[in-house]
Amino acid sequence: MTLKGGATSACAACKYQRRKCIPECLLAPYFPADQTKVFQNAHKLFGVSNIVKILRSLDPSQHAEAMRSIKYQANVRDRFPVYGCLGVIRQLYYQIQMLEEEMHTVLTQLEMYRQHHHHQQQQQQHHQHQHQISSMADDVISQLELGMAPSNNALPLFNQATHQPYTMQNTYSSSDIDSPPKDNVENNSLWIQHLFFDTNNHGTGNNDSPIAIQSQLLVPNSEPLADTQHQVVQDYDEIHPFFDSIDDRQSYIDTKDAEDSSSSEESLKETTQLMVGNVGSKDLKSAAACFSLTSVN
Amino acid sequence: MASSSYSNPPCAACKCLRRKCMPDCIFAPYFPPEEPQKFINVHKIFGASNVSKLLNDVSPHQREDAVNSLAYEAEARMKDPVYGCVGAISVLQRQVMRLQKELDATNADIIRYAYNEMPQPPQP
Repeated sequence: MTLKGGATSACAACKYQRRKCIPECLLAPYFPADQTKVFQNAHKLFGVSNIVKILRSLDPSQHAEAMRSIKYQANVRDRFPVYGCLGVIRQLYYQIQMLEEEMHTVLTQLEMYRQHHHHQQQQQQHHQHQHQISSMADDVISQLELGMAPSNNALPLFNQATHQPYTMQNTYSSSDIDSPPKDNVENNSLWIQHLFFDTNNHGTGNNDSPIAIQSQLLVPNSEPLADTQHQVVQDYDEIHPFFDSIDDRQSYIDTKDAEDSSSSEESLKETTQLMVGNVGSKDLKSAAACFSLTSVN
Repeated sequence: MASSSYSNPPCAACKCLRRKCMPDCIFAPYFPPEEPQKFINVHKIFGASNVSKLLNDVSPHQREDAVNSLAYEAEARMKDPVYGCVGAISVLQRQVMRLQKELDATNADIIRYAYNEMPQPPQP
Protein backbone atom coordinates (compact mmCIF):
# COMPACT_ATOMS: atom_id res chain seq x y z
CA MET A 1 0.00 0.00 0.00
CA THR A 2 1.57 3.29 -0.97
CA LEU A 3 0.86 6.70 0.49
CA LYS A 4 -0.14 9.70 -1.56
CA GLY A 5 2.93 11.66 -2.52
CA GLY A 6 5.20 9.18 -0.77
CA ALA A 7 7.41 6.43 -2.04
CA THR A 8 7.61 4.50 1.20
CA SER A 9 5.00 1.86 2.01
CA ALA A 10 3.09 1.66 5.28
CA CYS A 11 4.67 -0.15 8.17
CA ALA A 12 3.36 -3.55 9.16
CA ALA A 13 1.43 -2.03 12.07
CA CYS A 14 -0.41 0.52 9.97
CA LYS A 15 -0.92 -2.00 7.21
CA TYR A 16 -2.53 -4.40 9.64
CA GLN A 17 -4.74 -1.68 11.04
CA ARG A 18 -5.48 -0.40 7.56
CA ARG A 19 -4.62 3.16 8.38
CA LYS A 20 -2.36 5.79 7.04
CA CYS A 21 1.20 5.43 8.15
CA ILE A 22 2.29 8.91 9.10
CA PRO A 23 5.97 9.92 9.16
CA GLU A 24 5.78 10.23 12.94
CA CYS A 25 4.51 6.66 13.31
CA LEU A 26 6.10 5.34 16.49
CA LEU A 27 6.10 1.71 15.38
CA ALA A 28 7.26 2.18 11.77
CA PRO A 29 11.00 1.87 12.53
CA TYR A 30 10.45 -1.42 14.32
CA PHE A 31 7.83 -3.14 12.19
CA PRO A 32 8.86 -2.88 8.54
CA ALA A 33 6.29 -3.84 5.94
CA ASP A 34 7.90 -7.20 5.25
CA GLN A 35 7.69 -8.39 8.88
CA THR A 36 3.96 -8.90 9.21
CA LYS A 37 4.23 -12.07 11.27
CA VAL A 38 6.43 -10.35 13.86
CA PHE A 39 3.93 -7.55 14.23
CA GLN A 40 1.04 -9.99 14.46
CA ASN A 41 2.75 -11.79 17.32
CA ALA A 42 3.42 -8.53 19.16
CA HIS A 43 -0.11 -7.34 18.53
CA LYS A 44 -1.57 -10.63 19.73
CA LEU A 45 0.31 -10.51 23.02
CA PHE A 46 0.54 -6.83 23.86
CA GLY A 47 -1.73 -4.95 21.51
CA VAL A 48 -0.76 -1.78 19.64
CA SER A 49 -2.01 0.58 22.31
CA ASN A 50 -0.04 -1.17 25.07
CA ILE A 51 3.14 -1.16 22.98
CA VAL A 52 2.75 2.54 22.28
CA LYS A 53 2.04 3.12 25.98
CA ILE A 54 5.29 1.36 26.91
CA LEU A 55 7.28 3.33 24.36
CA ARG A 56 5.84 6.63 25.50
CA SER A 57 6.81 5.87 29.10
CA LEU A 58 10.45 5.47 28.03
CA ASP A 59 13.16 7.77 26.84
CA PRO A 60 13.50 7.73 23.01
CA SER A 61 17.01 6.35 23.38
CA GLN A 62 15.51 3.26 25.00
CA HIS A 63 12.90 2.62 22.34
CA ALA A 64 15.05 0.35 20.20
CA GLU A 65 16.01 -1.95 23.07
CA ALA A 66 12.46 -2.03 24.40
CA MET A 67 11.08 -2.97 21.00
CA ARG A 68 13.68 -5.71 20.63
CA SER A 69 12.59 -7.27 23.90
CA ILE A 70 8.90 -6.85 23.08
CA LYS A 71 9.30 -8.54 19.70
CA TYR A 72 11.39 -11.31 21.26
CA GLN A 73 8.84 -11.89 23.99
CA ALA A 74 5.98 -11.97 21.50
CA ASN A 75 7.77 -14.39 19.20
CA VAL A 76 8.53 -16.73 22.10
CA ARG A 77 4.89 -16.59 23.19
CA ASP A 78 3.83 -17.45 19.66
CA ARG A 79 6.18 -20.44 19.70
CA PHE A 80 5.27 -21.51 23.24
CA PRO A 81 1.68 -20.36 23.87
CA VAL A 82 1.47 -21.79 27.39
CA TYR A 83 4.81 -20.98 29.03
CA GLY A 84 6.31 -18.27 26.83
CA CYS A 85 9.52 -16.73 28.14
CA LEU A 86 9.07 -18.39 31.51
CA GLY A 87 9.60 -21.73 29.82
CA VAL A 88 12.82 -20.47 28.26
CA ILE A 89 14.02 -19.20 31.64
CA ARG A 90 13.28 -22.54 33.30
CA GLN A 91 15.16 -24.35 30.55
CA LEU A 92 18.15 -22.10 31.01
CA TYR A 93 18.12 -22.64 34.77
CA TYR A 94 18.07 -26.39 34.19
CA GLN A 95 20.91 -26.10 31.69
CA ILE A 96 22.97 -24.11 34.18
CA GLN A 97 22.34 -26.66 36.87
CA MET A 98 23.48 -29.48 34.59
CA LEU A 99 26.58 -27.57 33.58
CA GLU A 100 27.47 -26.83 37.18
CA GLU A 101 27.10 -30.48 38.11
CA GLU A 102 29.25 -31.51 35.18
CA MET A 103 31.78 -28.87 36.12
CA HIS A 104 31.99 -30.24 39.62
CA THR A 105 32.56 -33.73 38.28
CA VAL A 106 35.20 -32.57 35.84
CA LEU A 107 37.03 -30.58 38.49
CA THR A 108 37.07 -33.65 40.70
CA GLN A 109 38.64 -35.64 37.89
CA LEU A 110 41.19 -32.92 37.24
CA GLU A 111 42.19 -32.90 40.87
CA MET A 112 42.62 -36.66 40.72
CA TYR A 113 44.96 -36.29 37.77
CA ARG A 114 46.94 -33.57 39.50
CA GLN A 115 47.36 -35.61 42.64
CA HIS A 116 48.44 -38.61 40.63
CA HIS A 117 50.88 -36.56 38.62
CA HIS A 118 52.31 -35.04 41.77
CA HIS A 119 52.67 -38.50 43.26
CA GLN A 120 54.49 -39.69 40.15
CA GLN A 121 56.80 -36.71 40.21
CA GLN A 122 57.69 -37.38 43.82
CA GLN A 123 58.47 -40.99 43.01
CA GLN A 124 60.61 -39.95 40.08
CA GLN A 125 62.53 -37.53 42.25
CA HIS A 126 63.04 -40.26 44.81
CA HIS A 127 64.30 -42.65 42.17
CA GLN A 128 66.58 -40.05 40.69
CA HIS A 129 67.99 -39.42 44.12
CA GLN A 130 68.66 -43.12 44.57
CA HIS A 131 70.18 -43.22 41.11
CA GLN A 132 72.50 -40.42 42.08
CA ILE A 133 73.52 -42.25 45.22
CA SER A 134 74.23 -45.44 43.30
CA SER A 135 76.16 -43.55 40.63
CA MET A 136 78.18 -41.88 43.36
CA ALA A 137 78.88 -45.31 44.80
CA ASP A 138 79.99 -46.49 41.37
CA ASP A 139 82.30 -43.53 41.04
CA VAL A 140 83.83 -44.20 44.42
CA ILE A 141 84.22 -47.87 43.62
CA SER A 142 85.84 -47.18 40.28
CA GLN A 143 88.24 -44.79 41.94
CA LEU A 144 89.04 -47.40 44.52
CA GLU A 145 89.57 -49.98 41.80
CA LEU A 146 92.26 -47.86 40.32
CA GLY A 147 94.08 -47.83 43.64
CA MET A 148 93.40 -51.46 44.57
CA ALA A 149 95.12 -54.74 43.72
CA PRO A 150 93.91 -56.33 40.53
CA SER A 151 92.89 -59.67 42.06
CA ASN A 152 90.01 -59.09 44.29
CA ASN A 153 87.12 -61.49 44.12
CA ALA A 154 84.91 -59.33 46.22
CA LEU A 155 84.79 -56.44 43.83
CA PRO A 156 83.26 -58.22 40.82
CA LEU A 157 80.57 -59.56 43.08
CA PHE A 158 80.11 -56.13 44.48
CA ASN A 159 79.84 -54.68 40.96
CA GLN A 160 77.29 -57.26 39.99
CA ALA A 161 75.31 -56.56 43.10
CA THR A 162 75.38 -52.84 42.46
CA HIS A 163 74.32 -53.29 38.87
CA GLN A 164 71.37 -55.43 39.71
CA PRO A 165 69.63 -52.99 42.00
CA TYR A 166 70.65 -50.29 39.58
CA THR A 167 68.79 -52.14 36.88
CA MET A 168 65.87 -52.70 39.20
CA GLN A 169 65.69 -48.99 39.75
CA ASN A 170 65.68 -48.41 36.04
CA THR A 171 62.75 -50.70 35.58
CA TYR A 172 60.50 -48.27 37.34
CA SER A 173 62.13 -45.02 36.33
CA SER A 174 60.50 -42.95 33.68
CA SER A 175 63.37 -43.34 31.28
CA ASP A 176 62.78 -47.05 30.71
CA ILE A 177 59.69 -47.92 28.79
CA ASP A 178 59.89 -51.39 27.46
CA SER A 179 60.16 -53.11 30.81
CA PRO A 180 56.95 -55.01 31.60
CA PRO A 181 56.74 -53.87 35.25
CA LYS A 182 56.46 -50.24 34.22
CA ASP A 183 53.90 -51.18 31.62
CA ASN A 184 51.89 -52.88 34.29
CA VAL A 185 52.00 -49.78 36.41
CA GLU A 186 50.85 -47.62 33.54
CA ASN A 187 48.13 -50.08 32.59
CA ASN A 188 46.93 -49.95 36.14
CA SER A 189 46.81 -46.17 36.03
CA LEU A 190 44.74 -46.30 32.83
CA TRP A 191 42.48 -48.95 34.36
CA ILE A 192 41.99 -46.73 37.37
CA GLN A 193 41.11 -43.80 35.12
CA HIS A 194 38.44 -45.91 33.42
CA LEU A 195 37.19 -47.17 36.76
CA PHE A 196 36.94 -43.64 38.03
CA PHE A 197 35.14 -42.54 34.90
CA ASP A 198 32.69 -45.40 35.22
CA THR A 199 32.16 -44.61 38.88
CA ASN A 200 31.56 -41.00 38.08
CA ASN A 201 29.16 -41.83 35.31
CA HIS A 202 27.13 -43.99 37.62
CA GLY A 203 27.24 -41.30 40.27
CA THR A 204 26.07 -38.51 38.04
CA GLY A 205 23.77 -40.67 35.99
CA ASN A 206 25.34 -39.38 32.83
CA ASN A 207 26.60 -42.31 30.85
CA ASP A 208 27.42 -40.17 27.88
CA SER A 209 30.01 -38.10 29.67
CA PRO A 210 32.45 -36.64 27.16
CA ILE A 211 35.25 -37.34 29.63
CA ALA A 212 34.57 -41.08 29.56
CA ILE A 213 34.53 -41.06 25.78
CA GLN A 214 37.74 -39.07 25.64
CA SER A 215 39.49 -41.45 28.02
CA GLN A 216 38.95 -44.24 25.51
CA LEU A 217 40.57 -42.24 22.76
CA LEU A 218 43.81 -41.45 24.57
CA VAL A 219 46.86 -41.54 22.34
CA PRO A 220 50.41 -41.62 23.66
CA ASN A 221 51.91 -38.21 23.46
CA SER A 222 54.86 -36.48 24.96
CA GLU A 223 53.35 -33.00 25.31
CA PRO A 224 54.53 -31.06 28.29
CA LEU A 225 52.10 -30.63 31.10
CA ALA A 226 50.23 -27.33 31.09
CA ASP A 227 49.55 -25.33 34.20
CA THR A 228 46.23 -26.14 35.81
CA GLN A 229 44.04 -24.54 38.46
CA HIS A 230 44.56 -25.59 42.04
CA GLN A 231 41.27 -26.51 43.68
CA VAL A 232 40.46 -28.60 46.67
CA VAL A 233 38.34 -31.69 46.09
CA GLN A 234 36.34 -32.96 49.02
CA ASP A 235 35.55 -36.48 47.87
CA TYR A 236 39.00 -37.30 46.59
CA ASP A 237 39.63 -39.69 49.43
CA GLU A 238 37.36 -42.23 47.81
CA ILE A 239 39.71 -42.45 44.88
CA HIS A 240 42.98 -42.33 46.75
CA PRO A 241 43.06 -45.99 47.73
CA PHE A 242 43.28 -46.86 44.04
CA PHE A 243 46.48 -44.91 43.72
CA ASP A 244 47.86 -46.52 46.81
CA SER A 245 47.76 -49.76 44.87
CA ILE A 246 50.12 -48.30 42.32
CA ASP A 247 53.43 -49.18 43.83
CA ASP A 248 56.81 -49.30 42.21
CA ARG A 249 57.39 -52.44 44.13
CA GLN A 250 55.22 -54.14 41.56
CA SER A 251 58.33 -54.07 39.42
CA TYR A 252 59.94 -56.34 41.96
CA ILE A 253 57.06 -58.76 41.94
CA ASP A 254 57.65 -59.78 38.35
CA THR A 255 61.32 -60.38 38.71
CA LYS A 256 63.00 -63.49 39.97
CA ASP A 257 64.98 -62.01 42.77
CA ALA A 258 62.47 -59.60 44.17
CA GLU A 259 63.14 -60.24 47.82
CA ASP A 260 66.84 -60.72 47.35
CA SER A 261 67.08 -57.58 45.32
CA SER A 262 65.31 -55.57 47.94
CA SER A 263 67.58 -56.87 50.62
CA SER A 264 70.59 -56.22 48.45
CA GLU A 265 69.33 -52.72 47.78
CA GLU A 266 68.99 -52.02 51.44
CA SER A 267 72.46 -53.32 52.09
CA LEU A 268 73.68 -51.24 49.20
CA LYS A 269 72.16 -48.19 50.83
CA GLU A 270 73.93 -48.91 54.05
CA THR A 271 77.15 -49.56 52.20
CA THR A 272 77.02 -46.40 50.15
CA GLN A 273 76.37 -44.40 53.25
CA LEU A 274 79.52 -45.83 54.65
CA MET A 275 81.43 -45.17 51.47
CA VAL A 276 80.45 -41.58 51.07
CA GLY A 277 82.46 -40.63 54.08
CA ASN A 278 86.06 -41.52 54.76
CA VAL A 279 86.62 -44.98 53.46
CA GLY A 280 89.44 -47.11 54.62
CA SER A 281 90.53 -50.43 53.34
CA LYS A 282 89.08 -52.15 56.37
CA ASP A 283 85.69 -50.64 55.74
CA LEU A 284 85.87 -51.60 52.09
CA LYS A 285 86.61 -55.15 52.90
CA SER A 286 83.73 -55.33 55.34
CA ALA A 287 81.42 -53.85 52.76
CA ALA A 288 82.58 -56.29 50.17
CA ALA A 289 81.99 -59.08 52.61
CA CYS A 290 78.39 -57.94 52.96
CA PHE A 291 77.86 -58.29 49.26
CA SER A 292 79.61 -61.55 48.97
CA LEU A 293 76.94 -63.02 51.18
CA THR A 294 74.07 -61.96 48.97
CA SER A 295 72.91 -64.20 46.16
CA VAL A 296 73.12 -62.55 42.83
CA ASN A 297 72.82 -63.74 39.30
CA MET B 1 -32.90 -6.06 49.89
CA ALA B 2 -32.88 -9.74 49.48
CA SER B 3 -30.59 -11.47 47.04
CA SER B 4 -32.36 -13.76 44.66
CA SER B 5 -29.60 -16.34 44.57
CA TYR B 6 -26.25 -16.97 46.12
CA SER B 7 -23.50 -15.62 43.90
CA ASN B 8 -19.80 -16.12 44.15
CA PRO B 9 -17.76 -13.06 44.91
CA PRO B 10 -16.41 -11.47 41.73
CA CYS B 11 -12.98 -12.55 40.60
CA ALA B 12 -10.13 -10.07 40.62
CA ALA B 13 -10.56 -9.50 36.89
CA CYS B 14 -14.23 -8.65 37.03
CA LYS B 15 -13.66 -6.53 40.10
CA CYS B 16 -10.96 -4.59 38.30
CA LEU B 17 -13.05 -4.29 35.15
CA ARG B 18 -16.07 -3.38 37.24
CA ARG B 19 -18.34 -5.91 35.64
CA LYS B 20 -20.49 -8.75 36.76
CA CYS B 21 -18.56 -11.94 37.27
CA MET B 22 -20.50 -14.57 35.38
CA PRO B 23 -20.36 -18.27 36.30
CA ASP B 24 -18.49 -19.04 33.07
CA CYS B 25 -16.02 -16.19 33.57
CA ILE B 26 -12.78 -17.33 31.96
CA PHE B 27 -10.69 -15.34 34.44
CA ALA B 28 -12.38 -16.51 37.65
CA PRO B 29 -10.46 -19.79 38.21
CA TYR B 30 -7.09 -18.08 37.77
CA PHE B 31 -7.52 -14.62 39.23
CA PRO B 32 -8.97 -15.05 42.72
CA PRO B 33 -10.23 -11.91 44.50
CA GLU B 34 -7.45 -12.35 47.12
CA GLU B 35 -4.79 -11.53 44.51
CA PRO B 36 -5.90 -8.31 42.84
CA GLN B 37 -2.42 -7.17 41.85
CA LYS B 38 -1.93 -10.23 39.70
CA PHE B 39 -4.69 -9.24 37.29
CA ILE B 40 -3.86 -5.53 37.49
CA ASN B 41 -0.34 -6.22 36.20
CA VAL B 42 -1.52 -8.55 33.48
CA HIS B 43 -4.20 -6.14 32.37
CA LYS B 44 -1.82 -3.19 32.36
CA ILE B 45 0.80 -4.90 30.17
CA PHE B 46 -1.20 -7.22 27.96
CA GLY B 47 -4.82 -6.16 28.24
CA ALA B 48 -7.79 -8.22 29.38
CA SER B 49 -9.05 -8.93 25.86
CA ASN B 50 -5.66 -10.27 24.74
CA VAL B 51 -5.40 -12.47 27.83
CA SER B 52 -8.90 -13.76 27.23
CA LYS B 53 -8.02 -14.64 23.62
CA LEU B 54 -4.81 -16.33 24.72
CA LEU B 55 -6.63 -18.42 27.31
CA ASN B 56 -9.21 -19.46 24.75
CA ASP B 57 -6.43 -20.62 22.43
CA VAL B 58 -4.98 -23.09 24.95
CA SER B 59 -6.65 -26.18 26.37
CA PRO B 60 -8.37 -25.77 29.78
CA HIS B 61 -5.84 -27.89 31.68
CA GLN B 62 -3.04 -25.60 30.48
CA ARG B 63 -4.70 -22.32 31.31
CA GLU B 64 -3.40 -22.09 34.83
CA ASP B 65 0.19 -22.41 33.63
CA ALA B 66 -0.46 -19.89 30.89
CA VAL B 67 -1.89 -17.39 33.39
CA ASN B 68 1.02 -17.86 35.75
CA SER B 69 3.54 -17.29 32.98
CA LEU B 70 1.68 -14.18 31.83
CA ALA B 71 1.58 -12.90 35.39
CA TYR B 72 5.36 -13.47 35.68
CA GLU B 73 6.06 -11.67 32.39
CA ALA B 74 3.77 -8.78 33.31
CA GLU B 75 5.43 -8.29 36.66
CA ALA B 76 8.86 -8.40 35.02
CA ARG B 77 7.82 -5.82 32.47
CA MET B 78 6.44 -3.56 35.23
CA LYS B 79 9.77 -3.73 37.06
CA ASP B 80 11.84 -3.28 33.93
CA PRO B 81 9.88 -1.58 31.14
CA VAL B 82 12.82 -1.78 28.70
CA TYR B 83 13.80 -5.47 28.91
CA GLY B 84 11.10 -7.14 30.99
CA CYS B 85 11.72 -10.87 31.48
CA VAL B 86 14.02 -10.91 28.42
CA GLY B 87 16.71 -9.33 30.59
CA ALA B 88 16.75 -12.43 32.77
CA ILE B 89 17.01 -14.61 29.66
CA SER B 90 19.98 -12.60 28.47
CA VAL B 91 21.76 -12.96 31.80
CA LEU B 92 21.12 -16.69 31.96
CA GLN B 93 22.28 -17.24 28.40
CA ARG B 94 25.55 -15.48 29.16
CA GLN B 95 25.95 -17.64 32.25
CA VAL B 96 25.42 -20.77 30.19
CA MET B 97 28.04 -19.65 27.69
CA ARG B 98 30.53 -18.88 30.44
CA LEU B 99 29.99 -22.24 32.11
CA GLN B 100 30.35 -24.06 28.83
CA LYS B 101 33.58 -22.23 28.14
CA GLU B 102 34.95 -23.12 31.57
CA LEU B 103 33.90 -26.72 31.10
CA ASP B 104 35.66 -26.94 27.75
CA ALA B 105 38.83 -25.46 29.23
CA THR B 106 38.78 -27.89 32.14
CA ASN B 107 38.17 -30.83 29.82
CA ALA B 108 41.16 -29.70 27.77
CA ASP B 109 43.27 -29.70 30.94
CA ILE B 110 42.18 -33.23 31.74
CA ILE B 111 43.12 -34.40 28.27
CA ARG B 112 46.55 -32.84 28.68
CA TYR B 113 47.01 -34.64 31.98
CA ALA B 114 45.78 -37.86 30.45
CA TYR B 115 48.27 -37.57 27.61
CA ASN B 116 51.01 -37.05 30.16
CA GLU B 117 50.05 -40.29 31.88
CA MET B 118 50.72 -42.30 28.74
CA PRO B 119 54.16 -43.93 28.25
CA GLN B 120 56.73 -41.48 27.04
CA PRO B 121 58.76 -42.35 23.93
CA PRO B 122 62.30 -43.56 24.67
CA GLN B 123 64.76 -40.78 25.22
CA PRO B 124 67.69 -40.73 22.78
